[in-house]
Amino acid sequence: MSAVAPAASPESALTTVFDAHGPAHHSSETYVQLVWRRFRRNQVSIVGGLMILILAVLAIFSDFFSPTDPSRIDMKSTFTPPQRVRFVDENGQFSFQPFTYTQTYSYDPDTFEPVWLDVPDEKYRVQFLVKGYEYKILGFIPWDRHLYGVEEGGTVYILGTDKLGRDLFGRICQAGRISLALSLFAAFISILVGSVLGVVSGYYGGWLDGLLQRFVEVVQSIPALPLWMALASVVPITWDPFLIFVIMASIFALTIWTVLAREVRGKVLSFRETDFILAAKEMGASDPRVIFRHLYPHTLSHVIVVLTLQIPQIILAEAFLSFLGLGIQEPLISWGYLMRDSNSLETLGVNPWILAPAAFIVIAVLGFNFLGDGLRDAADPYAIA
Amino acid sequence: MPSPKHAMPVSARPSSPAGGDDVILEIRDLKQYFPIRTGLLQRVTGHVKAVDGVDFQLQSQEALGLVGESGCGKTTAGRTILRLYDATDGEIWYTCPDGEKVDLAQLSDKEMKPYRRELRMIFQDPFSSLNPRLTVMDIIGEPLVIHKVARGKEMTERVAELMEEVGLNPNYMGRYPHEFSGGQRQRIGLARTLSLNPRVIIADEPVSALDVSVQAQVLNLLEELTDRLGLTLIFIAHDLSVVEHVCDRIAVMYLGQIVEIDNADALLRRPAHPYTEALVSAVPAADPDIRMQRIILEGDVPNPANPPSGCVFHPRCRYAEDICKEERPALEDLGEGHLCRCHFAKELGLQGIA
Repeated sequence: MSAVAPAASPESALTTVFDAHGPAHHSSETYVQLVWRRFRRNQVSIVGGLMILILAVLAIFSDFFSPTDPSRIDMKSTFTPPQRVRFVDENGQFSFQPFTYTQTYSYDPDTFEPVWLDVPDEKYRVQFLVKGYEYKILGFIPWDRHLYGVEEGGTVYILGTDKLGRDLFGRICQAGRISLALSLFAAFISILVGSVLGVVSGYYGGWLDGLLQRFVEVVQSIPALPLWMALASVVPITWDPFLIFVIMASIFALTIWTVLAREVRGKVLSFRETDFILAAKEMGASDPRVIFRHLYPHTLSHVIVVLTLQIPQIILAEAFLSFLGLGIQEPLISWGYLMRDSNSLETLGVNPWILAPAAFIVIAVLGFNFLGDGLRDAADPYAIA
Repeated sequence: MPSPKHAMPVSARPSSPAGGDDVILEIRDLKQYFPIRTGLLQRVTGHVKAVDGVDFQLQSQEALGLVGESGCGKTTAGRTILRLYDATDGEIWYTCPDGEKVDLAQLSDKEMKPYRRELRMIFQDPFSSLNPRLTVMDIIGEPLVIHKVARGKEMTERVAELMEEVGLNPNYMGRYPHEFSGGQRQRIGLARTLSLNPRVIIADEPVSALDVSVQAQVLNLLEELTDRLGLTLIFIAHDLSVVEHVCDRIAVMYLGQIVEIDNADALLRRPAHPYTEALVSAVPAADPDIRMQRIILEGDVPNPANPPSGCVFHPRCRYAEDICKEERPALEDLGEGHLCRCHFAKELGLQGIA
C-alpha cells in the first residue's frame, strides 16, 4: 500500500489526522492516468498500439497518402510492379531528390511473362505535399494536397497496381477504412449485447440466468464460419453500401458476443456479493446505479481485453469472407476483397505484389494482440490494493 | 435538511406494538431462513435457519450489543432489520421522529428508501466495503447523491465536514481507498454512514477487521459520535469485552435465537444462561490476581439447517437435563428487563466476572 499520511505515526482518535508535510490539496491520479502509467511499462503493447495507430491514420486520411486517385482505372498500367523510388540514377549519380523511372514492359521470348523495365529517359522527381486530385478530408474538408507524388506525366506506385491499373497502396489505405471500421463496429455491437446480457444474467440470476446461459451455449455450438458465409451470401449486393456494412458487422457480432457475455456474467457474479455492493444497496441505491456505478466498471478491464482479442478475429473472418467474394462488395473495398485477384495461381505467380494487403492484415492482427496484452495488465490498476 | 415524509401507507398493521414510549425499534419474532437448493432442478430441500425468532426492543439513544459466535446469525439479523435481506417472517417496528410506527418488514424497496436515511449500517470489512474505483469524496458523498440531499459544491462541503468529524484530513477527499490504512478506511465508512444524519446505526463488527492498536481509537470515536449526535446503536460483535466497553445492554445470540438480554454490567456479573456464562468466562480480566474458571464448550455450533430439539443449546450445556431435550424454553423475564431463554434460569447460580 502506498504510504499515505502518517501510516506509522499514531492516529489520534478524536483529533484530525493531518499530514504535516503534504501540500494543501491532494488529488490522486485518475483512472486513465493509472492505466496509462502501467500500460507504458509494456513496450510490446506500445509497439502494438503504434501499429494500430499508423494503420488507422493511413485509413482515415487515405486520400492524402495516395498520389493518384485509387478508384481511377488506367488500363495502360495494369499489374505494374512496385516502382522503386531511387536516389541514384543510371549513371551512378546521387541526388538528394528522389525520383522514379517510368516502367515499360515487354514479354519474355521464352515464357511470355511480362518483363518490366525502367525507361532511363523518363525520370520524374518525387515531390512532397504535392497538388493532385481533389478529395475531402474526413468527408467534408475539400483539399487537393497529397503527401507525395511525382512530376506531371510520371507515376509512383510504391506497391504496384492491380488488374485495373489502380494504385495498390492507395487502395489498401482506403480498404483499411472498411476492414478496421467493420471490425470495430462488430466488436462494439458484441460488447453492447454481451454486456447487457452478461449483467442481466449475473445480477438478476435465477431462472433468467439459467435461460440466458443455455441460450449462450446454443449460440456457441453453432459453427460460426458456415453461418457467416450463409448469412453474408444472402445479403443483396444491390442494397445501400452502408446498410451492407452494418449488416456484415452484425453478422460477425452475432456469434462472438457470447464470449463477452460469459466474461461479464462471471465478473458480475463475483462482485455481486461483495460488501461495497451491499453497502450501495444499504444506502438505497437503485439497481441501475448499483450496476453502472459499482458493478459494471469492475468488468471493464475484461471487456477491453476481450475486445482487443475479438477485433483481430473479426478482421481475419472478414478478410476470409471477402476473399471468397461473400463479404464486402464494390464500391466498398476491404483488405480481403483486394486480395481476390490473387486467387488464381497464375496471376499470383506473375504479380506477387498483389498479396500486399495480407501484410496489412498481419500488422493489424498482431497490433491488436500486442495491444490487448498490455491492456490486460494495465486495465485494472486497483487490483494491487 | 428536510425530514423525509412518513405518510407512507403501511399495509399490515396488526396491533400497535407495546413497550415504553421511547422505543425506537422493536423486533418481533424475526425469522430469516435461507433455502438450500440441491440437484439439477435446484429444488429446495431444506432451510438454513440463520435467524429463528428474534425479539427485542431498542430504546432511543441506547447502545445494544448483539454478541455470539460466528455463524449464530447476528450479522444476518442486522442485515434483515435493514431489509438488505427480505425477512422470512416477523415484524420490524420503527418509530419515526413524529411518533408514527412503521413495520419495515412490510415495505416495498421503494417505500423503504426514505427510511434508509434514518437507519444505517457500518460494515465489518473496511477493505471490501468501499468501492476501490471511487474517490473518498464519491464514497462519502454517495448517500447524499442517492437521496438528492446535496450536489456539487454543497456536497463537497458536507463531505469535508464529515471527514473532519471522523478525524480525517478533508484534503484527502480526492484519494482512493487503497491509499488509506484499515483504521482510516473504517473512518471513511463511518463518515459515509453519518452523512445523512441517521437515527439508528447498526454496526456490524466495525472493529473486528482492524488491528488491535487501532480498534480502541475507532471504538472511542464511535462512542463519542453516538453520544454527541444522540444516535441509537446496535453493535454486533463476537468479542464481549469490546461490547461491554460500548454498550448499555447486551443481547446474547445462539443459533439464530436470543438466549439472554440484560444490562451490560449485570449480564457480565450475573449471567443467567449457561451459554452466556461460558462466554463471560472467556473475557480476559484486567487483574492478573483474578482466577476465573474457564468454561470450555464441548463440540461445535450445531448446523442451523437442522437445529437440535428442545433447547438449541442442550447438546453443549453442562447443566442440561431431560426437559431441555424436549421442550424449547421461552424467553422469560427475570425482572428488571433481564430476559433469559433457559428452563433453569432462576435455579442455576452461574459464575460472572468479579
